Amino acid sequence: MDILNSLMQGFATVLTPFNLWMAAIGCFFGTLVGILPGLGPSATIAMLIPLTFGMNATPAMIMMCAIYYGAMYGGSTTSILLNVPGESASVVTCIDGYQMARQGRGGAALGISAIGSFVAGILGTIGLMLICVPLAKFALKFGPAEFFSLIVMGLLTIVYVGGKSISKSLMSGIIGMALGTIGIDVIQGAPRFVYDLPELMDGVSFITVVMGLFGISEVLESAEERLKITPINVKFKELWPTVAEVWQSKWAILRGTAVGFLMGALPGAGATISSFVAYAVEKGVAKNPERFGKGAIEGVAGPESANNACTSGAMVHLLALGIPGSGATAVMLGALMLYGLKPGPMMFHTNPDFVWALIASMFIGNAILIVMNLPMIPLFATALRIPYRYLYPGILLICIIGAYSLSSSAYDVWVMLVFGVIGYFMKKFDIPGAPMVIALILGPMLEYNLYRALALSRGDMTVFFTRPISATLLAIAAIMTIMFSFKTVRLKRAMLEEQEE
Amino acid sequence: MKKGDITFSAICMGLSLWLILESQKFAYASKFGIGPGFFPFWLGIVLAGFSLFKFIASLTEKYDAEDLKRRLPRLGSLGRLGLIMLIMAGFALVMNGLGFILTVFLFVSIILFVLEGDSALRSIFYGVMFSAAVFLVFRYWLDVDLPRGLLGI
Repeated sequence: MDILNSLMQGFATVLTPFNLWMAAIGCFFGTLVGILPGLGPSATIAMLIPLTFGMNATPAMIMMCAIYYGAMYGGSTTSILLNVPGESASVVTCIDGYQMARQGRGGAALGISAIGSFVAGILGTIGLMLICVPLAKFALKFGPAEFFSLIVMGLLTIVYVGGKSISKSLMSGIIGMALGTIGIDVIQGAPRFVYDLPELMDGVSFITVVMGLFGISEVLESAEERLKITPINVKFKELWPTVAEVWQSKWAILRGTAVGFLMGALPGAGATISSFVAYAVEKGVAKNPERFGKGAIEGVAGPESANNACTSGAMVHLLALGIPGSGATAVMLGALMLYGLKPGPMMFHTNPDFVWALIASMFIGNAILIVMNLPMIPLFATALRIPYRYLYPGILLICIIGAYSLSSSAYDVWVMLVFGVIGYFMKKFDIPGAPMVIALILGPMLEYNLYRALALSRGDMTVFFTRPISATLLAIAAIMTIMFSFKTVRLKRAMLEEQEE
Repeated sequence: MKKGDITFSAICMGLSLWLILESQKFAYASKFGIGPGFFPFWLGIVLAGFSLFKFIASLTEKYDAEDLKRRLPRLGSLGRLGLIMLIMAGFALVMNGLGFILTVFLFVSIILFVLEGDSALRSIFYGVMFSAAVFLVFRYWLDVDLPRGLLGI
């Protein structure tokens, strides 16, 4: 009952013309970002943070959140019409979605993807609401030792599950943490690694790093080759899947929702992995798995539901624990801190209006997205016809404006450009950028909690192992490390055997 | 990937050495526990460990020239990327003097004319359109404080 009352209050906060307008803008930009290759939700959210400094935290976060799940809606459009995923989470949608489009069923694929995303978004938000409150209550028992262990576990999960190479992900994460040590240190309040440069006093801004690593580098990669895309035409009247197709997809949507939400609630698993798992599940339970890859509608419904439900799952630990599980939620965590909010379990007590308004906005945002997406897919698809040479100067300009407006100085623009070049080469050599960004945000929190835990225990290092919750979290991290080490060794052996053969 | 991985691990090795050495300038322990030098020092040690591991692992990898060729940009593309970065760097250098709106006009026009081979007229047209859009959206609507430059625009 408490949850329902709080939710109603959340709706009361959201249902103002300005908040609704922000949700609609977020949905629109999210869909557009999902559709257009070259810019992801993390970079877009980061770019918009400086532009929303004058705003209250609630409408600003409503917009950012809408961009996050809106991108999942939009990502399928390019996958289906072009065989080019607008978002990494929609890679798997290409397999059957594009085949459906080639068979003249592109509209049905886009329609079922929107319906699946809507159902998953609503059910995922209900799940978020039900899990977040008890989890936040439980997390109130956490002290600095538990938060330290939780951050360690979260970071390791992100590293193990997120990238292709564990060692590269780990190294990327450590570099992120090292970047986080620049500026005023959290222990004595003295400048560290500043070298008398006043710009470094506040540390390296995660916003410029995100825009460089995810925005500029993406543009450089796309601009490297002259991108030419010609989408398959879809008419409005073709957008509705038949009743039989919707009926056929119902279990795929529900299974995808469950998979996506659970994977999202696991730090690091992310929308991409959840969509792959959902596809594998659909293929596994199908009576005729040979249909997959040839235009099976379940192959679109399952993954598209999963990647949308995943965004709700990812919000669970962001809101309840203050730990991000993906690049986009890491940026949102940073944004929350910039707005003066303290993400974590206490937020439900200190800022209940904000938290519940955000959750309520996710219901409204999903409704806006389905209303916006179904009739406007042909319109959004026409955005793909804009030649890339006119798009990328615009993306670069928005990045520059975003970086400049952080502190009204060209310094942040330079930092962003440097990280753009670094990000470009990181992409080229499969070094994931997300662990770096997440570690950049979590690193100072990790150090602070380490310091506090040791200070409270008078320098006793065993505090992390003697407190039950902390010990459990570290044990999970250790088990994961062992599991993934074995997996890596097995894979290496298999590769060596393959090479020898 | 072999060369790329070796380069990456060497860069990380250098970074770890820098972290270890620089962390010595700060106290390792404080009155209440750890000091400001503790965290960067251990980050440096862990990074050094992983870099060494990656470096050795990369040495045993098979060298795949084709893979490296596929990953690295071709000379033409590299020139294109270099020009984009150069134009962006130019943007950052001149925006305070020329003002943001005028710099946007030059930025877009130069990209379209030099890099994309659009005609001068078309490049100027798009330059004006982008400048107008930036002015309307960011300065007029969002009230973002963008540099006005010597001309005050």
